[in-house]
Amino acid sequence: MSMHTHSDDRMACPSCDQLYDMSGLEYGQKARCGTCNHLLASYRKHAYAHVVAFSISGLIFFVLACRYPFMSFKSSGMESIMTLPQAITQIKGEGMWDLAILVACFILIIPALVMVLTGALGISLLAGWRNYWAKDVAKLIFHLQVWSMVEVFFIGVLVSLFKIAHMATVGIGIAFWSYAAFAIFFTLMLSNLDTFYTWKRLEELEP
Amino acid sequence: MSRVTAASKGLASCHLCQKVASVELDKCPRCGTALHSRKSNSLNRTLALLCTATILYIPANICPIMITDQLGSSIESTILGGVVLLIQMDSIPVAAIIFIASVMVPVGKLLSLFYLCWTVKFGSSVSSRQRTIAYRITELIGKWSMIDVFVVSILVALVQIGKVLVIRPGIASIAFAALVIVTMIAAEGFDPRLFWDKEEENHD
Repeated sequence: MSMHTHSDDRMACPSCDQLYDMSGLEYGQKARCGTCNHLLASYRKHAYAHVVAFSISGLIFFVLACRYPFMSFKSSGMESIMTLPQAITQIKGEGMWDLAILVACFILIIPALVMVLTGALGISLLAGWRNYWAKDVAKLIFHLQVWSMVEVFFIGVLVSLFKIAHMATVGIGIAFWSYAAFAIFFTLMLSNLDTFYTWKRLEELEP
Repeated sequence: MSRVTAASKGLASCHLCQKVASVELDKCPRCGTALHSRKSNSLNRTLALLCTATILYIPANICPIMITDQLGSSIESTILGGVVLLIQMDSIPVAAIIFIASVMVPVGKLLSLFYLCWTVKFGSSVSSRQRTIAYRITELIGKWSMIDVFVVSILVALVQIGKVLVIRPGIASIAFAALVIVTMIAAEGFDPRLFWDKEEENHD
């Protein structure tokens, strides 16, 4: 084996700069930094197949979550039904367009974009395509994923349920459950996209 | 005993794709991101953003986050006011979630990052390992402060019963969202490897 292939297995801990040779890691194993306990990499079997599967399932639930009623609120004989896109336009209607844009980005636009891009990257890596866009897509995913707040939003939904349950009759719609499923698939998808192995594979597939 | 670090071998790890390459290169040979051994100017950047966040903390807590219009009368509630109201309603667990997410996490995050920056400059008796773990936790919990902003968003969208009962978002909601975003960027810009560099410097 040449020196060059060896060098691809090097990794420095992002938290303490300790240098490691990752070539000994096997399927199903995780590597933690011995100095600071930072999780360095997790080597999963069929990782890209899982990424693609979770991405497609998640996107189906995302469409349902946008399309159907999320929650309903009934008081004094009147009922208001809300879908997620309506929630955004309602905030904008109250004159808070900046808040509307932020919420739309954190709970819908960025998560959906990350899911589509990760699915595309997964297909490309799985098929072993040597294309020019895969690296740019990966860069975008690793930049954007920090700003997805799917799970935070879901806890927020549960808190608001408790807050208004005493005021009126609150109903839960199809979109509520779809969004919960979307959040789960989103988390599972990203947990299969390991930074170290994804970039290693991208380097192997350089056009 | 000195550790084998990337820096000690004249190497740098890419911030984005973690490729280990010679520190003399300007750009990561794999993904093209600018290559630095340490995040550039991280201490000053983090401190500047922390000051911004501290200023944003004032309107976020003084101004109303939510306005409830019920049959002609309107009630403004602040973040802490909302927590007090929930306690009066006997919803202790929900009050606890809001209090932790909206008060303890942002304040804790600001204090923790200020403290970590201070230890990089002046050293600390707390080990680098423990401070690195503290930093990781700070980074991880940051986005959970956004809960209250999402709660307000849902209530605004949902509670719209003609002229009888309407909930509107207050100015604090946007100030608080900005606070969370700024502290997230501050945490991301901080470089925990500075703890270890300082430690090694003291050993020599």
